[in-house]
Parts: sequence; structure tokens; C-alpha cells
Amino acid sequence: MNASAIPLKEPSVSAAAGDAEQVERALIDASTRVPVLMFYTSAMAWLIIGTLLAGFVSFKLHTPDLFSDISFLTWGRVRPAHMNVMVYGWASLAGMGTAIWLMARLCRTVLRYPLLLVAGAGFWNLGVLLGVGGILIGDSTGYQWLEFPHYAAIMLFVAYTLVVSWAVLMFRFRRGEQIYITQWYLLGAFLWFPWLYAAGQLMLFVVPVQGVLQSAVGWWYANNLLFLWFGAIGLGTAYYMIPKVIGRPVYSYHLATIGFWTYALFSSWTGMQRLVDGPFPAWMITASIAATILTMIPVATVGLNHHMTMQGYFPLLRYSPTLRFTVFGAISYTVFSVVGLLISLRSVARYVNFTQANIAYFHLGLYAFYTMVIFGSMYYIVPRLVGREWRYASLIKLHFWASVYGIGLMTLMLLAGGFLQGANMENPSLVFSESTETVLPYLRGRSLSGLLLTVSHFIFAYHFGLMLLGLGRTSTVPTFLNPVEAEGSEAHV
Amino acid sequence: MKGLAPLFLGIFGTFAFSWVGLTFIPNWQIGHLNPQMEEDGSDVYPQPQSGMVERGARVYAANGCIYCHSQQVRADYAGADIERKWGDRRSAPRDYIFERPVFLGKMRMGQDLANIGARAPAEQENAPPAGGASPATSPAPQGGAAAPSAAPSGANPSPPANASSPAAGAPRPKATASPPPAGSPATSPAAPPASPAPSASASPGPNPPPALPTPPAAANASPAASASPAAGAPWPVQTSGQPPMYSAAWQHVHLYSPRSINVDSNMPSYRFLYQTRRITDAPSADALKLTGSEAPPEGWEIVPTYDAKCLVAYLMSLNQSHPLKEVRSAAPAAASPAASPVQSPAPAK
Repeated sequence: MNASAIPLKEPSVSAAAGDAEQVERALIDASTRVPVLMFYTSAMAWLIIGTLLAGFVSFKLHTPDLFSDISFLTWGRVRPAHMNVMVYGWASLAGMGTAIWLMARLCRTVLRYPLLLVAGAGFWNLGVLLGVGGILIGDSTGYQWLEFPHYAAIMLFVAYTLVVSWAVLMFRFRRGEQIYITQWYLLGAFLWFPWLYAAGQLMLFVVPVQGVLQSAVGWWYANNLLFLWFGAIGLGTAYYMIPKVIGRPVYSYHLATIGFWTYALFSSWTGMQRLVDGPFPAWMITASIAATILTMIPVATVGLNHHMTMQGYFPLLRYSPTLRFTVFGAISYTVFSVVGLLISLRSVARYVNFTQANIAYFHLGLYAFYTMVIFGSMYYIVPRLVGREWRYASLIKLHFWASVYGIGLMTLMLLAGGFLQGANMENPSLVFSESTETVLPYLRGRSLSGLLLTVSHFIFAYHFGLMLLGLGRTSTVPTFLNPVEAEGSEAHV
Repeated sequence: MKGLAPLFLGIFGTFAFSWVGLTFIPNWQIGHLNPQMEEDGSDVYPQPQSGMVERGARVYAANGCIYCHSQQVRADYAGADIERKWGDRRSAPRDYIFERPVFLGKMRMGQDLANIGARAPAEQENAPPAGGASPATSPAPQGGAAAPSAAPSGANPSPPANASSPAAGAPRPKATASPPPAGSPATSPAAPPASPAPSASASPGPNPPPALPTPPAAANASPAASASPAAGAPWPVQTSGQPPMYSAAWQHVHLYSPRSINVDSNMPSYRFLYQTRRITDAPSADALKLTGSEAPPEGWEIVPTYDAKCLVAYLMSLNQSHPLKEVRSAAPAAASPAASPVQSPAPAK
């Protein structure tokens, strides 16, 4: 298709009717500036910290004698520190930033009560800081994904209460009857998270359940955090960004409805398959495997919907950074779900159950899908907050490709290594250490992929820093990845 | 979609459905298990841990052991765990009722630890001080290491005979340092001599029955300890010059310097749990027996911190070899050595 037909910015707005709406949007965007930037900036800081920790973890896994005299640098502490920094520092904060901006836009009202959010961001950061510090000094609770000691958990909960009460207030002030698809997901995420977190904390620490059920509760929490919190924000964001950038309504509202409710219903029942063959009633695991299979319904509907929306507009991926990141993330959602399904089947789980393949799965979900969507949204939102456009198209491209190759390589390495590790582990005629030795070359490959991701994150952080300092381009045209032909660019100036 | 109410109800409903289904109902089903015991109230299993073991569990959590080690044995049809001699039977919910946190684990970059305490040599106490290869042969002269099928305890019913002497006849210097598998002497001054006798395990103290030298436990320990057919054996083998495998002293050396025991080990060393200090009067009884490049300089010694001792006490307490009524044991229960043949020849693959 001809590039001149491609509307690249605010396309749905016709010149006449648009003016008032443009002004209104600008006002809304301006009102979100301080809180959203606060969330984004701290998220970026955590991203860099988490990346450095990840590099350390990855490297130390195949070089175990590094720093063995220093207690807080022991592998078993840095690993949960990395994970919690990424989950609660980077992913949650950046996701909340995006969600807040989207909420304001979709409720079509200027952001009220910004102090709630500013305080929320402050407490949240304090909570993560305390939590990570606690893990490093040896205060970890020992429950995966809930390692933060109680003093940090309380802080996070206070912070979250502030944010969610803001969200509910915003919803009350919304204009227009229609609630857009993105808002379903965001409202879901905003409500699910505190329930989840409270349920997890209550059942593990306040009124602890007995024995193995702690593990069940732990995985139920971790899995639902992945789907009902991160997944919901990621999918909601994709539902906004893709139609927005290409200037076309979502292909099917009906499909979206089916997708949302089946997603909420089925994905929240997955998770127990991680405990396959463990000391649990078999029905729990079977129920989760069945639910995992059923999640193919939302995967198919969401994927189809995005695909049909994009139909005919794929060439835009050449230009729009937001679209490129978001579409990559949306595709990864499908890949993530399919991989999740495959490693859940009992015959496969037997081999990958205790291996690196699980790490690949979580990285697919949290990075290839969620983080890429969030990157995309930040490329869209930040210019609207700081009033400047991204300075270098080349840096955006580098960021994208380093991330794509990095996460691709990591996934392949960990999946392949995990399968081989599991196959050797399941072969009792081999010494156990054979299985860990088999995976070592793959772990080195993973360290290499980590290097790529580190490069990508530093580039993004640098670019983001330029934007914060007001060093972006002053222009009415967004930064395209590739130059749009002369006549094309006029269409949307 | 119009209206907030249906949306809110749906969001709440799906969450509640998941919560009830995956946490509430399981809790109702297996959330209130009691220890198993004989009708006369003896032979209680499992028993709550306390003292050093409890603190050791916290050290285990703090240092993230769970990110590489699982503590669960899968059933024989579901994995090779039993063939790997990580246990004689699958783990069951009842095994964990007193564990908090519970460390089932999701990764095996290291061995499964569900029965690491059971693998300790049964007569560790009688072994001469570590340092020679000799202890390797001591536990049970059971040469069948190369053929796993030879191991079932029917062949070797009674190593437990020796088990009555945990600390009693211990000239062994390290006995004080590291709790013998019987549990934690530090916390139970009254009980030590009696603890590991199978029938005495009802004693309320912090002594769990880990040392119950039931034949399964012994069977577990023996192949590990037999030095000779090491070459092709699919399980770890005794390194010469080290304390008997899986003894407390061995655990300390392994934590301090994993690669001195197994060159292929991928485990980080936990030196920060140990202290290098100058020998003042006499060498400490706790000092690690290290050789080669790991050995401290002349006049110095390496001793475990209290945390390290607790961690080892915890590891030595990990033992699921006690039979459970609801789980079919691959090896016979202690009482009935005759009914064994479930597992014996299992070269099915």
C-alpha cells in the first residue's frame, strides 16, 4: 500500500471536529505528566538495576565460585532479588504508569487526585527498595514470588491501596457510557492485584495454610500475578495501542468480549500444573492442565482480533516504534501461551518439570510479551508527556532489535537446554551432574543473550533520559523508524 | 460493554471462582492432616522441628537453596526420582505438615534433598575421624552399588543394630560440631543417647525420627558409601579423603567447597557461612577437614558459624523414609522386610 494512505498520528481526528478533542487530549495528557513520569522514571531505574542483577545471576550460574565470600552476593539471594526487582520494580511500576495514562485517556477526564498517585509511587518504590534489601541481607521469606519480607509487603500494599483508590475514583468521573475493551482489562488488573496479593499474604503469613498447600497458594499467586496482573495490563495496552496507531477500530468487539471473559475465567485456573507429580491431589493439577488447554480460546480470539485489525496495515510496522513493539508483544503472547500449553502436558512436563525450561516460559511471558508491549506504550506515551519527540530513530531500532534477539536467544537457549537437562535427569543410568553439565553451554548462551538485553536496556534508558531532560526533538511529527516518503509525511503533519 | 456492575461482578466472580477452586477446596481436602501414628500413639510421623533445625530452615530460605534444589520425590511412574535413589517412596502431603515454609522447589540444578538426611551413613558415629578413605566401606558391606536392583533392603535387613550410639561412643571430634543425623543435640540435652532408637521416637523432644535407621534409610546410604564400583554408578560416589558421604562433616565440607567433593558440581560455595580463624589452644572440634588447596594455612582453621551448623542440622533432618500408610513404598516398611519385591528389579528403561 501507498505510504501516503497511512495515517500515522491521531488519525481518527478530522480537522474540524478534531480541534476541541485535540485540546482536550492535550489537557488530559498534561495532567498525567507528573505521576506517570514518576512511575516510568523509577521503573527505568529498577529495570537497569534488575538487568545488572540478571547479568550477575546468569554469569554466576556457570561460574559458581564468583564472590563466594560475600553473603549478599550469593546466587540464592541475588536471583530472587533480580526477580523481585523486575516483577515489582520494573514491570509493575511501568505497567501502572501505562495503565494510569490509559485510564485518564479512556475515562476522558483530566487526572484527578494526582497526590494519591505520587504517594503511591513513593511508597511502592520504598517497598521494593526495602524488599530487595531485605532479600540481600537474608530476610527472604522463602516463598517464590513472595520473597519480600513482611515490612516490604506492607509497604507495597499501602502503596497499592492508594493507586487503586485513585483508579476507582477516576472511574466514577469518567465521561461517556461506553467502557472500552482496554478498560475492562485495566479495571480487572487494578482489582485483581490487591485481592491476589492479600490472599497470598494472608494464606502464607497471617493464617498460614498447612504444608504443601503453601506451595499451591504460592504458585496460584505467581501464576495469577502473571496472567491477571501483568497479562491483563499487557493485553489491555495492546488493545489500545494497535487500533490507535493504525487509526482503525478494533476488528470485532464481540470477539474481544469472548476473549476477555474466557481469559479471566481460564487463565486464573492455570498454575497448578507447575506442581505436576508433586504431593498434591491429582485433580488440582489436571484442572490446571485443562484450564491451560482452554486458554487457547482467549489466545485465538485475541490473536485473531489483533491480526484482523492489523490486516492491510502491516507495512506500518516499518515506521511506528509503538506498533512494532506492541505487535511483537502481541505475537509473543500467542507464543508464550502455546509454549505454556506444551510444557504443561504431563508427558512433556515429566521432562521439563525441574529444568531451565520454566525460566524460559516466565521470560517469554514477562519479557517477550509484557515488557515489549510496555516498551511500545512508553514510546507512545512519553512524547505526549514531555512535549518532545524521541530524538534518534536509530536508537529505537537498536533497542528493538537487541531486545528481540536477546529474548529470542534466551528463550531458545533455555528451552533447548531445559529439555536436554530434563532428558538426562530422567535417565537414571546417567550421573545426576550429567544433567546440569549438559545445560551449561546453554546457560553460557543465555548469558550472551543477557548481554544483548543489557545493551538494549541501557540504550532505552539513555534515550528516556534525554526525553526527561527535554532533549527530545521539537516537532509535530512523531519519530518514525524509517523515513516516510515525502508526500506521505504531509498527510499527518 | 455498558455498565460497571456486570463488569465488576464478572471480575470478582472469576477471581473468586479461581480462589475457591484452587486454594479453598484443596485446603478443605488436605489442609488439616494429622501426623500418622500407631494405635498406641507411638511411632509418630512426622514430628515438628525446633531449635537448630528450625533455624536451619530459615538459613535455607534466606540463601535461596530452593532455587536449585527441590524437596519432593515423584512417584516411580512419573519420574526417575526413586531410581535415582532420592527416596524409596513418593512424597505425600503428610510429609510436609510441619514445614513452614515448605520447600517443594521447582528447579533441579542440584539434587533433590527430600531425603538427604536419610542418606547419611547410619553409623556415622562409629566412623574414625574423617580423613582416610576407610569410612567409605564402613556402613554396610553391600557391594551392589553397580546394580541398583541389588539394594533393596530385604537383602540387608538390619544395619540398625548399631544405631543406639549417636553421641555416646563418639571419640569423633566432629560429633559436637555437627549434629548427628539423630537431630539436634544442642536443643535436647536430655535425650541424646536415646534418640535414634526406632521405638523411642515418641519422645517429644525436637528429635524427629530422621535417624530412624529403618532399612530403607540404610539401603539408601549404602550404595553411596561404597567406594569401589564408583566408576559407572549413576549416583554420587564417595570422594576419597573426604568424610563419609552425607555425614554432617561431609555436608560442611560440601557447603564450603563443593568442587573439592565433586569437580563437576555447579553449586556456589557458601564460604560466608564459615569462619577462618587462628587456632588458639587446640584445634577446634568443629574444624573442617579440608585438603589440598582448600586447606587453611598452618596454625589456622576453618569452622562453621552457628548458621552453618543450623543449616546442616536442617539438612540432616530431611528424611521422608518413614513409611506412610497412604503411600505405597517401593521398599518395605521397617516392620515387614519380607514384602519387598515392589521395586527390586526395575531396569524398566
